[in-house]
Amino acid sequence: MTAPAGPRDGVEITVGYRGLGGMPDRLEARAVEPAEGDAPPWDANTPLRQVGGDHDRVDGLAKASGRAKYTSDVNLPGLLQAAILRAPIARGKLVQLELDAARAMPGIAAVVALKNVGSRVRFVGDAIAAVAGADLHRVRDALAAIRADYEVEPHNVDWLRGEDAPLLDADGEIAEPWPEAVALEGALALAATTHGATYRTEVQTHSSLEPHGATARWQGEDLEVWSSTQATFGVRGELAQALKGRGLRVGAVTVHAEYVGGGFGSKFGAGVEGLACCLLAHAAKAPVKLMLDRFEEHTTAGNRPAALLQLRGGLDAEGRLIAWDVRSYGGCGFNVERGDGGGNVAVPDYYTRAAKTRRKHTDLPADTDPARAMRAPGHPQGWFGAELFLDELAHKAGIDPLELRLRNDSQTMRQDQWRFGAERFGWAAARARPNAPDARFRRGVGLASARWSQLGSAGRPPHGVQCRIHRDGSVEVRSGAQDIGTGLKTVLALIAAEELGIDPKLVQAFTGHTGDPSGPGSGGSTTTPSLSPAVRHAAFLARQQLAGFVATHLGADAAEIDCRDGTVGTRTQRLAWAEACKLIGPNPIDVRGQRFPNYGGKPFSASVCGCQFAEVEVDTWTGQVRVLRMLAVQDCGLVIAKKLAESQVLGAMLQGISFALHEQRIMDRQSGRMLNGDFLRYKILGSADVPELDCVLMTVHNGHSSTPAAGLGEPPAVAAPAAVATAVFHALGEPVRHLPITPDKVLAALARRA
Amino acid sequence: MQPFTYVLPENLSQADAAARQPDTVLKGGGIDLVDRMKERLQTPARVVSLLPLRAELGGIAVEADGGVRLGALATLAELERHPALATPALAGLREAAASTASPQLRNRATVAGNLLQFTRCWYVRSEAFRCVHGGRGPTCLAVTGDNRYHAVMGYSDCVRVHPSNLAPPLLALDAEYTTVLEGKTRRRKLAELFPSDPRGQAPEHTLAAGEIVTALHVPPQPASARTSYAESREKQSFDWATTACAVRVVLDGGVIEAATVVLGAVAPVPLPRPAARLMLGQKPSAALFQKVADAAFTGALPLSQNGYKVTVGKAIVREALERATR
Ligand SMILES: Cc1cc2nc3c(=O)[nH]c(=O)nc-3n(C[C@H](O)[C@H](O)[C@H](O)COP(=O)(O)OP(=O)(O)OC[C@H]3O[C@@H](n4cnc5c(N)ncnc54)[C@H](O)[C@@H]3O)c2cc1C
Repeated sequence: MTAPAGPRDGVEITVGYRGLGGMPDRLEARAVEPAEGDAPPWDANTPLRQVGGDHDRVDGLAKASGRAKYTSDVNLPGLLQAAILRAPIARGKLVQLELDAARAMPGIAAVVALKNVGSRVRFVGDAIAAVAGADLHRVRDALAAIRADYEVEPHNVDWLRGEDAPLLDADGEIAEPWPEAVALEGALALAATTHGATYRTEVQTHSSLEPHGATARWQGEDLEVWSSTQATFGVRGELAQALKGRGLRVGAVTVHAEYVGGGFGSKFGAGVEGLACCLLAHAAKAPVKLMLDRFEEHTTAGNRPAALLQLRGGLDAEGRLIAWDVRSYGGCGFNVERGDGGGNVAVPDYYTRAAKTRRKHTDLPADTDPARAMRAPGHPQGWFGAELFLDELAHKAGIDPLELRLRNDSQTMRQDQWRFGAERFGWAAARARPNAPDARFRRGVGLASARWSQLGSAGRPPHGVQCRIHRDGSVEVRSGAQDIGTGLKTVLALIAAEELGIDPKLVQAFTGHTGDPSGPGSGGSTTTPSLSPAVRHAAFLARQQLAGFVATHLGADAAEIDCRDGTVGTRTQRLAWAEACKLIGPNPIDVRGQRFPNYGGKPFSASVCGCQFAEVEVDTWTGQVRVLRMLAVQDCGLVIAKKLAESQVLGAMLQGISFALHEQRIMDRQSGRMLNGDFLRYKILGSADVPELDCVLMTVHNGHSSTPAAGLGEPPAVAAPAAVATAVFHALGEPVRHLPITPDKVLAALARRA
Repeated sequence: MQPFTYVLPENLSQADAAARQPDTVLKGGGIDLVDRMKERLQTPARVVSLLPLRAELGGIAVEADGGVRLGALATLAELERHPALATPALAGLREAAASTASPQLRNRATVAGNLLQFTRCWYVRSEAFRCVHGGRGPTCLAVTGDNRYHAVMGYSDCVRVHPSNLAPPLLALDAEYTTVLEGKTRRRKLAELFPSDPRGQAPEHTLAAGEIVTALHVPPQPASARTSYAESREKQSFDWATTACAVRVVLDGGVIEAATVVLGAVAPVPLPRPAARLMLGQKPSAALFQKVADAAFTGALPLSQNGYKVTVGKAIVREALERATR
């Protein structure tokens, strides 16, 4: 272990990465300046025993056995159940709302209006009123007894049929000319190969296993809320603000989210359901639970917006991209104003360093519920279009798709990943294997890149983590931030165990309670990179205090004491961990670590890189696509918990295949209502559809913090749909430019080829 | 859900009496029925569970004449693995059961419930819509709405499809069904269970109110009979067929002596196709099967979004025929 850094000392560390397989190492020395009092940096040469190891998820057994209690599991004495009345119309005005009949029904404890008479109704599912009662059956009966009248206006739920939508031809290509771009068109005119096409994706719903919702209990002035959320502190502030009128102050609100069954970007706020729950509990003077049902999940709790993008571009004779023009549209519901509704579509920029480029994006409205951020917002849509476009361009130019990437990708790290991944996947052989012309099943392989940039941040004011060492030898680490399933508890436990030189089983990690130190909302893949250095700092401070006790006991200098292999002491005199902890008094060592800002200067790599390869088999008789195998090569800075990190990547691949082949919201134009708002008809990849998945993580030392993890939740979600779509193109010899790639579209593509 | 009385009969005559009470429904595994009750599409005053009658109405057995009796309460999981079905002649029935839904559902779903389940049309099965089905509204909403999974043939004013996996192979095998009503037992051809003119207003099956299906009977099969079942879907797990086909062929010295082709999931009822006759006296060949597949869809009138089902359905007929004659 490196010695603690003195104040303002520059420390020389080794950054970069060791090559995967036969790839070259890219390591270099760098001077960094840790903040005063921070733990010293771990770098490429630090021997780590726990961090990066193949540990199980610390709460895996609790989750699998049902001991872990999610918001939907919370049960309190006298708990009431609640549900929301939803608007059946897509557009109009609420003109009458009569709640008294519902209030008078047996078993009903409270009824609250969520919309005032005269307010606008914006989509089917807009919240009108909420009811709490003894059980959900009675609550539903009461909802049916509420009289709500509407002034109905004509609606449009198809975002590509609105006034400002671009004109599409019969093949789905944008039929409007490109706005003039002199330099770009000049480059296109010089290109050896050019191509242009339109790509489209459908609305994907978040489909978290645990629905949105809350349980709320008032005790006097205090409000305690269990919320299925990605942002405990955000929810706390939001509720305090909304309930200010009831004399509530932030400090009196406790939010619990000890276990969260997924969020994917849809659970940053308390939502109308969370607020309704608190209002009902207040009115009923009893605890209330309000969880959305699956239809409400699909129709009111956010989604990944639909996208339409058109690309044109050109290659020079050497296969270099010299022109690249993108215009895109996002379909993200009623809240689009002045073209902005969060539907932005991102495309890769590392292929086009030498190209003339242009980008334009417009969001288009429809009378549907608003989009929310979803795992790498805008990226899977845009990467699908851009990577498939590149494959089509490569095909025209007679260049192998991998070769095209290698000629144009400006990121060294991904260059290494492409080469390593292609070798491991067997790209060249798989790509060269022909399909018999009359074969029923055609195979194909494809690939796509990924990028993300998230090295975490300190937070303002800085995030903290609490660490306690008890005299029985147990260690407690606590963050008020939430573990949405990505593994924060495991990350906290492993880093503390590493710093303290003990078995991770001695460490208990607690998350998701606002009584504990504040942490970030879990968005943008920030949680692990932001909190890893904070827990490290907490354990580092606790270790110093323990060293003080041991030094006194041994009559040694505290600076000579270290913790390793379950012992504490000097080079010559060592105590077993349990013995050392007995020196602690009845009060535990109790310290709070903080997240210091990232080191100044440039990190080794500011972006996380990855690439994925996929092999598919297409049944040309039925149009069904099956993914046979996939490989992801992915960096995520310092790998903390290997198994959990791999599981993020595998999960992203599965979600990506599901997006590429199955998932889509289907709206009934006439009623404005979603037709497939359940898991029977909203199709999600199932267990029998899971291909052989391979994942290789690449540890990269970016030298940006003491404990340099990088965000991983989102990057692998960027490449997966594109990898599947490019493989389908290879299998068919004809692209399917509209996700999901369902049998009807495959058969249409085959008919075009014939 | 509306409150209802739950009746657990001790024997068939109690069930028979209970089933004839007004506003009463029968429940097998309950997968389909309870779904519809939760959606408030059906709000009966009484639910009679048949599950206590497993001893009488369950099980699978070979009968004296060599035929196979499937108790109405036999589960799909039992069909999948029962030795009485382990013959090439009944392979199609086994395959149809094994490809249904998921293992959990197959452990619960009963043979009678599977044949009698309601359509999965997303307009029919939502309380938010008022369509012609069951007389809830004036017109079929799928014709002008989203009909990607709907009927391509055999429909009149309602374009729902019949979703049962078991119906096509049982029809192909010329199965019969036994019912009890008012103490009387009747045995009829399975084809009679489904309406000949499947309109929106008409019930999905021809049973009288309170009539209990007690068993299905698969007649004895010649040694050279073969059946197979094929279906198209969008994914491997937990999905409904977009088209399905069961075939039965009897080969004599390499020549097709008898043949039946029954389509599922393309019409409001499972649909035997006369095109099977084209195979009589012929030797199996890819060209012949293609011809039969094309002919099986003559008269198809796909809707605005489901033309693909005709292409896919033909492929599925071919696949079923190839597998049965392999
Ligand atoms: C996710 C999912 C996927 C599915 N996929 C498929 C699929 O691919 N293929 C397929 O075929 N099915 C599929 N199903 C449907 C499932 O197979 C049926 O719902 C099930 O077989 C019904 O059997 P049950 O015993 O539960 O019937 P129940 O729900 O008990 O009964 C269904 C109907 O039959 C009546 N009934 C039941 N038994 C009798 C009797 N003995 N006499 C008279 N009337 C009776 C009931 O009154 C009711 O109207 C799927 C279901 C789900 C939930």
